[in-house]
Amino acid sequence: MSTGSEMEAVPQLVTRLGRAQPAGDNRLSVELAVEHLPAAVEALTKARWGYLSAITGLDRTPGETEGADSGESAPPRRAQFEALYHFCRGATVLTLRVKASGENPTLPSITAVAPGAILQERELAEVFGMHITNLPARGRLLLSEDWPENLFPMRKKNTPEAIRARISEPPPAPLPASSPERPGRFVVPIGPQHPALKEPAHFELEVDGEIVKDVSLRLGYVHRGIEKAAESRSWIHNLYLMERICGICSHIHATAYALGVEQLAGITAPPRAQAIRVLFAEMERIHSHLLWLGVAAHQAGFDTLFMFTWRDRETIMNLLDEVSGNRVNYSVNVLGGVKYDIDDPRADAIRRGVDSLERRIHHYLDIVTADESFLRRTRGVGVFPTEKADVLGVVGPTARASGILRDVRVDAPYSAYRDFPVTPVTDQGCDLAARFVVRIKELFECCRLIRAILGSFPPGELRVDVPRRIPEGEVISRVEAPRGELFYYLRSAGGPMPDRVKVRTPSLANWAYVLSVAVGLKLADIPMVVVGIDPCFSCNDRMFSVHQVGRNAE
Amino acid sequence: MKSLLAVMAYLIFPGGLFVVVGSLAYEYVDRKLIARFQNRVGPRWFQPLADFVKLLVKEEIIPQGVNPGLFVWLPVVALAAALATALYVPMAGLNPTWSFRGDVVATVYLLMMMTLCIGLAGANTSDRFSIIGAVRALTQLFSYEAPFLLALLGPAVVAGSWRIADINAFAQERLWMIVTQPLGFLVALIGLMGKLELSPFDAPEAETEIVSGALTEYSGRGLAFFRLGRDIELFVGLTLISAFYLGGLANPLQFLVKTLALLFVTAGLQSLFARLRIDQTVGLWWRIGALLALTQLLILIGLKTLGVAI
Repeated sequence: MSTGSEMEAVPQLVTRLGRAQPAGDNRLSVELAVEHLPAAVEALTKARWGYLSAITGLDRTPGETEGADSGESAPPRRAQFEALYHFCRGATVLTLRVKASGENPTLPSITAVAPGAILQERELAEVFGMHITNLPARGRLLLSEDWPENLFPMRKKNTPEAIRARISEPPPAPLPASSPERPGRFVVPIGPQHPALKEPAHFELEVDGEIVKDVSLRLGYVHRGIEKAAESRSWIHNLYLMERICGICSHIHATAYALGVEQLAGITAPPRAQAIRVLFAEMERIHSHLLWLGVAAHQAGFDTLFMFTWRDRETIMNLLDEVSGNRVNYSVNVLGGVKYDIDDPRADAIRRGVDSLERRIHHYLDIVTADESFLRRTRGVGVFPTEKADVLGVVGPTARASGILRDVRVDAPYSAYRDFPVTPVTDQGCDLAARFVVRIKELFECCRLIRAILGSFPPGELRVDVPRRIPEGEVISRVEAPRGELFYYLRSAGGPMPDRVKVRTPSLANWAYVLSVAVGLKLADIPMVVVGIDPCFSCNDRMFSVHQVGRNAE
Repeated sequence: MKSLLAVMAYLIFPGGLFVVVGSLAYEYVDRKLIARFQNRVGPRWFQPLADFVKLLVKEEIIPQGVNPGLFVWLPVVALAAALATALYVPMAGLNPTWSFRGDVVATVYLLMMMTLCIGLAGANTSDRFSIIGAVRALTQLFSYEAPFLLALLGPAVVAGSWRIADINAFAQERLWMIVTQPLGFLVALIGLMGKLELSPFDAPEAETEIVSGALTEYSGRGLAFFRLGRDIELFVGLTLISAFYLGGLANPLQFLVKTLALLFVTAGLQSLFARLRIDQTVGLWWRIGALLALTQLLILIGLKTLGVAI
């Protein structure tokens, strides 16, 4: 897919409104004036050109990028910000860039024309202090309730030290009750602590009997400030930090980051390293999907399936442990390659494990497609029509179960997926049952890929050297995590540390789906629908600086 | 002497101690079986007792906004009702301690007290999970209670008596009623599972939606009593169904074999299905359960009027 033809497909309006230019492989960039942004987004949405994948905020205030302590006594400069709206279609990423400046930078909301944008716009408003006009929002999404007003953690002038000084002040007033009683309404709170949630989040479901009438969502309970922390760590340290964003899909985060840094540095990992990365990614997908299947079965009250899937998941966990020494953070990646080799006995062990797992997976596919009591909880529940899913920009198995082929491994093959192509799994069912089928069928594909890679393992080195200082530039790294497209935006100012690391996890893109279908469902279906996107809250809540700074840590 | 025996019957056998120990043992068997079906290890033999003792010594928290009297006494009433039923069934295969005409109906109503108390307990607190749990528990009560009662009336109609002891004696002489009245047996057994809110009928306490349902606010002694009461209901319910449908209970050995066989079946059913939503439970009972039980009963009455021996 060439960039030229995709560029021609970009609606004329967009290219007419701003200055368009290619920005590297498969990337287009259009600089827009602020007032033209909604029109451009509307043109893209109307023409169904891709989907809004991520919104990246940048603090471009001059003079602050090189070394944190050089500008301490300098006179305050006029703050300058930039917001990047990334649209993805196939392998192409179109970036709309808008600039805003001053202490209260203002941007128009695009939620009216691209409904999937709301959570990302709220994030932008909270952590960068962007004033987003016409944003339909209630309260905070990510920051804690006692976080000081007007302290925007991602701004460069708010160094970790400055933030620490601010948040150690006592809060000015007692905290408002998080869920004030609304007369005449019966609100069921789910979370932050609730048996249905394995990680904290907070839903307020207004119900009438068993029927849900309204839903609101609050995230951020496990916000660790990783994006901010990344800006004060070296490129190498960050690899380990990124791996710890998620406890389930840890490897894919590290892979996305490593691929991005390698692209910035202009190097490529050796073929064997790429194959090992993909091998681990697929094993991770198996473990993630099996874990999900168990959790989903438990939400449906089907604990027998839960116990069996988790028992079988141990097969893959033991293999990961055997090869890397760790069950969770395998730490396979290094910048420029991988750490562990797969020798023949280990390859055999993996083959055996995958063979036995595959037999079990056939059994599970039977259960989710044939068990009447289970199908009564999944068939026709949480239906998400293709059209709507496309507009909201959902990703991963959630999108594929609505009949949308959206898989980065297929759209823009990275690493060893170029040599070992993936056959994507889609389903036209659009309901919960389809999501079960898609994920379980993907497991077969994982097994096939693992065998294919082990069958023709490229020989050679495991890593190449990467310079300590990464050349100036920006890069987008997209990979397919078990939950969908994982989006990394990396920006280097030529220093030993990144200037900006933006992570948009698949869960964030998929929340829009939950919020849009929840109203009208039965209360009993809500946990099923939530788990249907396989949400990962620690992935979501990655962003700013409570890490090492928050009072909880002290 | 007679009054001493009566006190013994209340406190030691067949009421009181025996029922408590027996139902804790049956809870253990139930939990162990389900665990093995689910490929887990399961609890040790004294775990139900340990749970009970642990709950007894824990602090009982009375939340704000409840009627404290109701909050404290509802579990006691529920437990007492469950214990009382043990006196009317052929416990351990022996003749019931107390018996009067119509005690089968009285027993069914005593068994219902538990669910009523749980419903009231949930409605008594201001916790939203409890309220939803209470609504669901009572909704479920209205759906399974009628079919369950109809299913128990089948054997009573055939035996021509409303006395549990008579029905038990009648059942011992005839072909097992599970053969002659299979529909009634099915409805009674599944009705018992619905009554005890066992999976897949556990929507009233669906952990992933409403935490612990009506009992969310209960801790310590109250929770211990409700749990024990439910174990006793399981014990008594199994006794009743095997006395009616499995050829009666003539001696302790028969009692043990037949009730444990039933427990094995219910444990299997508990681990086979995904939880039913409350609307599905109600639909199942009224569309299928009630219809089956009613059909069965009408056939029995018809045959009886025609003078056919069943």
